Amino acid sequence: MPTPVKMPRLGESVAEGTVGSWLKNEGDWIERDESLAEIVTDKINAELPSPVAGRLTKILVKVDETVPVGTDIAMIEENADVSASPPAEAAPGPDAAPVESPARANVAVMDNRSATGGGNGAGGATQSAHVGEEERQRISPLARRLAREHGLDLYAIPGTGTGGRVRKDDILAYLEQQAAPAAAVAQPAAPAPAAQPVYSALAAPIEPAYGAPAAPSMAGEDIEIVTPSRMRLAIAEHMVRSKRTSPHATTVVEVDMTNIAKWLEKNKEDFKKREGYSISYVPFVMKAVCEGIRKFPLMNSSWTEDNKIIIKKRINLGIAVATDVGLVVPTIYDADQLTIAGLSKQVNAVAQRARSNKLTVQDMQNSTFVVNNPGTFGTIISVPIINQPNAGILSMDAVVKRPVVIEDDAIAVRYMMYLSLSFDHRILDGAGAGGFLQAVRTKLQSYGREIDVY
Amino acid sequence: MSAVTYLEAISQAIREEMRRDEAVFLLGEDVGTYGGAFKVSAGMLEEFGPERVIDTPMAEAAIIGSAVGAALMGMRPIAEMQFIDFITSGFDQIINMASKMYWRAGMPVPIVIRGPSGGGTHGGPFHSSSPEAWFFHTPGIKVVVPATAYDAKGMLKAAIRDNNPVLYLEHKLLYRMPELREELPSEDYVVPLGKAIMRREGEDMTILTYGAMVHQSLKAAQTLEEEDDLDVEVIDLRSLTPLDRETILESVKRTNKVLIVHEDTLTGGIGAELAAILSEDLFEYLDGPITRVAAPDAPFPYAPPLEDAFLPNEDKILNAARKLAAY
Repeated sequence: MPTPVKMPRLGESVAEGTVGSWLKNEGDWIERDESLAEIVTDKINAELPSPVAGRLTKILVKVDETVPVGTDIAMIEENADVSASPPAEAAPGPDAAPVESPARANVAVMDNRSATGGGNGAGGATQSAHVGEEERQRISPLARRLAREHGLDLYAIPGTGTGGRVRKDDILAYLEQQAAPAAAVAQPAAPAPAAQPVYSALAAPIEPAYGAPAAPSMAGEDIEIVTPSRMRLAIAEHMVRSKRTSPHATTVVEVDMTNIAKWLEKNKEDFKKREGYSISYVPFVMKAVCEGIRKFPLMNSSWTEDNKIIIKKRINLGIAVATDVGLVVPTIYDADQLTIAGLSKQVNAVAQRARSNKLTVQDMQNSTFVVNNPGTFGTIISVPIINQPNAGILSMDAVVKRPVVIEDDAIAVRYMMYLSLSFDHRILDGAGAGGFLQAVRTKLQSYGREIDVY
Repeated sequence: MSAVTYLEAISQAIREEMRRDEAVFLLGEDVGTYGGAFKVSAGMLEEFGPERVIDTPMAEAAIIGSAVGAALMGMRPIAEMQFIDFITSGFDQIINMASKMYWRAGMPVPIVIRGPSGGGTHGGPFHSSSPEAWFFHTPGIKVVVPATAYDAKGMLKAAIRDNNPVLYLEHKLLYRMPELREELPSEDYVVPLGKAIMRREGEDMTILTYGAMVHQSLKAAQTLEEEDDLDVEVIDLRSLTPLDRETILESVKRTNKVLIVHEDTLTGGIGAELAAILSEDLFEYLDGPITRVAAPDAPFPYAPPLEDAFLPNEDKILNAARKLAAY
């Protein structure tokens, strides 16, 4: 019996993927974990490893075709002689292989799915069948049919019905929007990327649903019309959804980073020479965040659609990384298990993967709390937006020298930093959020002149 | 020719059919000397004599049973239930005799059972019922519910000429309602059984209804247009059996949302069957849940405030329609 290869889930808010290229032809032999195809999504590109060894008997999805996560995209006939691998029926939809993620990353995928599945009781055994569950959306039967007939991605269409339901009107408005810019805006002569039609199709719906001004129908002298990249659209969607989902409250503390700053000044160069990667304030803050989460586990939780709070026992810190094309938030798994140096190494590794567009599926999933560092751009106070479905996000702003009143009312020059925490006010109140920040600050200020980062 | 009421339209139909066809006769409680409890048959005894306008004992089984027998012998009886609530006393004659006779013996039973149904007149639990669902469920009998004077006359004539048993439900609240007065054609006409009629055209939602609720639904549709800018279509089913599936499906296919309104109680009512048909045939055309507005599953109350609370009305229709529109 041939084993189906399924479209993997490349990121938590990603519902579909496009086959960028097939690396094997029908009839070719493929080893287990050998790359079978290149998959393109709005977040990342990844190579898809074969779940089994065998002969590629059938390619079901053509290059540049976009299908929902979980769709069978190819069939592989396993050879009975070499079938040391698990039975075909049990093979789950493979995820692209992590490059440098900790070995437990696969487990994390399962944990997180059953957690975010909310009250639907999806157990581990049925995971592959429930891949699309968390993405489930309210859709009228008519809207579903219309979307299918027009080849639309329902998840790209914001609903205006009760509870955000996608209805006939939404589909019709979307089709209208889609038709308008396509007709009016001249496409640049540059060759479009492979999945361009899908990208531009995604462009329309975000505007009408959220009350942004409709795109002018004609480009003119005074304006230029830009079709956002798929990643830009994904970010836009996520930001709007997050603001709509969680009542954000933001609270700020000021932290004295003097000892850490001085240690860095003194040891930064040596550290880099010794380890081959640099160290900054970020791993210190991450370490302190882990301490804060231990004291305030609600900071590491999610509010579910059926009004429950899921507290996650693993601390997987997302770290916001700016890339040329936009913001990504790769995950450092089990951050609390790592030393400051270990965190630093992981941060460097994911940032590098992000910038070279080599993030893996695991990199993009399962963060339970996010640390963001706009301070590198000199900002002094930020109001971050939560990465759903987390309970909070912490922004580190620039560490700057300020005159500060210290003990005995003396004034001293200290290295100061504001930490801004946006939290989901459904889950926590100011007391919990403030307590968490207090714990983070206490940890950061606890370092002396000599710091052991190992 | 002057405008006539719904009740006068019914009288005209009976009278004209009795004049047209010797086989047609009327029987029921107080239909003769008294002229009927609501005066539908006033003057008929004088015109047609006691052999064609027959006062019966208070025994619905006997009235309907006699009508069935007469029909088998070639007559076309009209059996009046003084209040339609009492039809239950003749239930066996309808279910086991009238509706099955043609299947059993190949003999048609051309009877019309008619009477005042419905509430809103402070009639209490025995004088307010809407019994259509029992008979709607029964194969072999037609069930019709006119909502206007024109239909009342045209459908009664069609019912009398039909070779099947027909249950013709009049709504007593409509009998003398002034706004239902209308001028009827002077020539003979029938409204064919099995055809629904669109009372108001719209594109945002279809209301499927019949009987007195047609008028409540039309009022609600008007309000929805004025206050909510909603364009609501109102379909008067008129004939429950046979049901005009074509008109129903065509409308809902176009509007994609459907509200079913009936005065009868909710569970197992006409709305339940309509909902089943729609979900079977038009599932992928539905842009919202098939929604019903009906009386609660309780005996008809007597106290006026309770009766008001019990009956579907414009407000209840508005609430449901707004919710459905926003869905």
